[in-house]
Amino acid sequence: MPNSKKDFIPYANEADSLSIGELTIENRLDRVSISGTIELTKDKEGLQYAYELKRIIDATIAELKNKDLPEHIEIAPVEMVENPF
Amino acid sequence: MHSGVSKGPLWSAEHLTRNMLSGKAERSNEFHAEERLSHNERAELNDYAHSGYDRGHMSPSADFIDPQSNNECFTLANMVPQVHNNNAGIWSHIESSTRYLTKKVGETYIITGPIYQGSNIQRIGGRVLVPTSIFKAIYIPSTGQAAAYVTPNAAGDDYSVVSIAQLEQLIGINLFPKMNPSAKQHAMELPSPKGNSRLVPLAQGTSTTAITTAPATHSGEGFIDKLERKIHNFNKGY
Repeated sequence: MPNSKKDFIPYANEADSLSIGELTIENRLDRVSISGTIELTKDKEGLQYAYELKRIIDATIAELKNKDLPEHIEIAPVEMVENPF
Repeated sequence: MHSGVSKGPLWSAEHLTRNMLSGKAERSNEFHAEERLSHNERAELNDYAHSGYDRGHMSPSADFIDPQSNNECFTLANMVPQVHNNNAGIWSHIESSTRYLTKKVGETYIITGPIYQGSNIQRIGGRVLVPTSIFKAIYIPSTGQAAAYVTPNAAGDDYSVVSIAQLEQLIGINLFPKMNPSAKQHAMELPSPKGNSRLVPLAQGTSTTAITTAPATHSGEGFIDKLERKIHNFNKGY
């Protein structure tokens, strides 16, 4: 079943997907993909969203810092095959 | 409808109503391989890893409010390799426009799927084929009209609007076997997706048949007004 937001471990798997407001956050082995928009309204919901987003970003930085990182990730080469359709 | 050749869907169909879209999908979920398909037929999560491609939903998660069907739509049998810029940009706006249209007219039938054009196709993970374009066909039962959005699986904001007949010719699949031939030939107008969307003629690719784009409007509101009038007239027995 779905992970709760606090279980999100960046780069740990290719499965996790969660949303904060209209933001979609997907876990990949080589990236954390964040797309969409979010409004952090000046109310309790806005604060909750801000905390959730911060938790994701903090966890991402924690996974990346103090690691021997390349300048850019490498994408697996794409094959060209005959169109079967 | 799944293909063991492309390791993904050929199309994914939805029947949407205004009521089904009221509420908010709680999107905390997990992408997963389709358990009802054997490994030889299906895509695995690992096929998409390090490919640079998104796992692009055909039937979108935001259409599924109840938790069980929302979970089911995260099956890789509902995904194709999609360029992130397209998935997060023009495609998400096409999905939103489709929900907007459904809320306006009350009920739609939607078929979404990949298009593979050209003599050669990209393949990721040694297994999963990358579509060259993606379509979303929409049928409104109350008016009997239909049309489809088509967008290249590429960065940018280009999209086309085509008739169901043109789309079916392009993909070689009869998507709506019982649809009135006249409705298939004539593309209804579709609301223009938000953002920087740009309506363009459909690229011909390697198709031997001349494809022309159907007329479409860029004034979404005016179109909806016209459509509502048509539905009103339809309901009156017009």
